Amino acid sequence: METMKKEFLTVEKFNVISDVFSQAITGELIGMSNFASLAETIEDPNEKMEAVEHANSERMHAKAFMAYAKERGFKININLNGQYWGNVRKQFLSYAHKFDFIACLIIQEVMLETFAISMYTDVGNALGGEAGRLFLRIAEEEREHLEHSSEFLRNELIEDPNAFINKFEEIHFNCMTILSEFSASTDISGHCGVCSGSCMKLSLHHIGLDIVTIRGNALALYAQALDEIGIPGEKSIVWIARLPA
Amino acid sequence: MDSTTSGLDFAVLGHQDSWENISDFINGIRTSNEGELTNEKIKEIFSFIPPRTLFRMKVRSNTGAEIKGTYIETFIEPDKLDSSFLRVNIAKVRNAVSYAKKTKAKIATLGGFTSIVLEGNLDPFSDGETRFTTGNTLTAAFIVKGIEKAARDRNVNLKESSILIVGATGDIGIACTNFLKNKAAKLLLSARNYLRLEKLAVELINDGQQVIYSVNIQDLIPEADIIICVASATGIQLSNLKSGVIICDAGYPKNLETRLEQTKGVHLFHGGMGQIAGGYDLEPDYSGTFYRYAAPHIVHGCILEAIVLAFENRFESYSEGKGKITTDRMEEIYNLSIKHGIDLAPFYNAKGLWSQDQNI
Ligand SMILES: NC(=O)C1=CN([C@@H]2O[C@H](COP(=O)(O)OP(=O)(O)OC[C@H]3O[C@@H](n4cnc5c(N)ncnc54)[C@H](OP(=O)(O)O)[C@@H]3O)[C@@H](O)[C@H]2O)C=CC1
Ligand SMILES: [Fe+2]
Ligand SMILES: [Fe+2]
Repeated sequence: METMKKEFLTVEKFNVISDVFSQAITGELIGMSNFASLAETIEDPNEKMEAVEHANSERMHAKAFMAYAKERGFKININLNGQYWGNVRKQFLSYAHKFDFIACLIIQEVMLETFAISMYTDVGNALGGEAGRLFLRIAEEEREHLEHSSEFLRNELIEDPNAFINKFEEIHFNCMTILSEFSASTDISGHCGVCSGSCMKLSLHHIGLDIVTIRGNALALYAQALDEIGIPGEKSIVWIARLPA
Repeated sequence: MDSTTSGLDFAVLGHQDSWENISDFINGIRTSNEGELTNEKIKEIFSFIPPRTLFRMKVRSNTGAEIKGTYIETFIEPDKLDSSFLRVNIAKVRNAVSYAKKTKAKIATLGGFTSIVLEGNLDPFSDGETRFTTGNTLTAAFIVKGIEKAARDRNVNLKESSILIVGATGDIGIACTNFLKNKAAKLLLSARNYLRLEKLAVELINDGQQVIYSVNIQDLIPEADIIICVASATGIQLSNLKSGVIICDAGYPKNLETRLEQTKGVHLFHGGMGQIAGGYDLEPDYSGTFYRYAAPHIVHGCILEAIVLAFENRFESYSEGKGKITTDRMEEIYNLSIKHGIDLAPFYNAKGLWSQDQNI
């Protein structure tokens, strides 16, 4: 076992890494819950099974992060009802209750997943060692989830571009507003309820990161995902420009 | 690509030349509920955004033809145009080039700074359906046609004038220099690299043109009746100007007004710009927030080159490489441009349109 185990962690570093793991575990559990809820919206037995399987894959991610955190003795705080995670979950459920499979897919697989992929990649590269590899491996798996749903959503768009884009726009403002507030350089809507002390955003420099870059990269990947699906650039730029910052 | 790109005639790759512009654009989009973003906040996000279409265009020719285009923003930061940011900027241009190829536009022009990739032949542009041009031929044509007109308007005889070209060894600079060869009494050439400057000067002298060249622009300014500034540099200072001097600011960003030691007796205009008589429509229509010119339908020469080529159904890399622009080609594209109702923009600078006794 290399780097992180042998490396002496300063209190600051220990706290940031603990918070990073807390966020990742919370996010994975949100994803797991979302897919479990999504399974209910589906009639087709094969697709239903696929959603459950997907929920399980997010569960495995949560488990892997938890196991690593436990081994290192990180201070983990899981909270699915905090200001931002809780609100994203509420948004997801509001669509799930309407049996809106497409909307659920957009929230979980495009919005949450692009943020996860990008942030895990940044964190993975910054942490290095075993912890870094864990983040990068999970980022890779999330990327497959994103690609899979992009293809599906692209076909949905082709069928009825106007209806699809209008629907996407509504979901964007309902959900990306929350994620943008969450990842803004200042806490726009208060404490996240996950970080142990004050928000880790201001302490990321202890692990060689900063929130502006992390948020920028995440938004960039989201924008690319919109391109992949076929949302016209003149739409996506407006959607992005109107987000809180 | 996306659901609305089919059938595009042209694409324009570009960048903004001030944060003020960007802020107007972003805050123009935001609703009053969302509130305005400070420049600091905008700067935090802007440069991360991958290239994308900001708006679509419909342009009308005097012949009645109409073409469709798209403007692709590279998200290069306006205060990071100089060489220390070259690597990041080239990466951004490359991304925008692949984006443009996906739109399947028949021709794309590399506006402003972005032409650097095609001038340097850094990238293979041949694959895909889209042809790329730097737009430098029409830009250079508008610059020199502007100089000829400004001189006429002010009763300045080119044959008796000394013309200073700052950035003379650049793609546009060489084109302007060659065009003006044997049309002016003396050509004064400036750039930072002495050897390239010397090589260009020797060619001109061999062709019978009187030339003075220097890497120090201050050596040449006091003698200049006319100055064309086409250097890709932001820090140029102009002092000891001749009274009555005509200055064409054709670089990016166009900010020479702020670089003048004196403004009295100086006639400065933003050059390389054309105006579309038939007009254009933008979708979404950002002309209210985004458009900063003193008269309607003013557009950069490099963008107009793609538009003219599209009107002509000539989907070819009209301008590429460096130092290959000929006077014949400048005349050709300028004449085609006129045919479609695209002529020199009226003279203007940061203070607005030129008035009778224009001082800056
Ligand atoms: N319609 C319009 O208004 C358009 C304007 N442009 C602008 O025109 C300018 C020139 O474009 P292009 O010819 O393609 O560029 P190039 O890079 O080919 O040429 C730049 C020239 O400027 C010189 N130069 C650079 N820095 C300085 C300096 N500090 N002092 C004096 N000379 C300098 C260079 O020589 P050296 O390195 O030896 O100094 C070279 O001669 C650019 O700013 C470009 O953005 C481009 C397209 C359209
Ligand atoms: Fe996951
Ligand atoms: Fe996932």
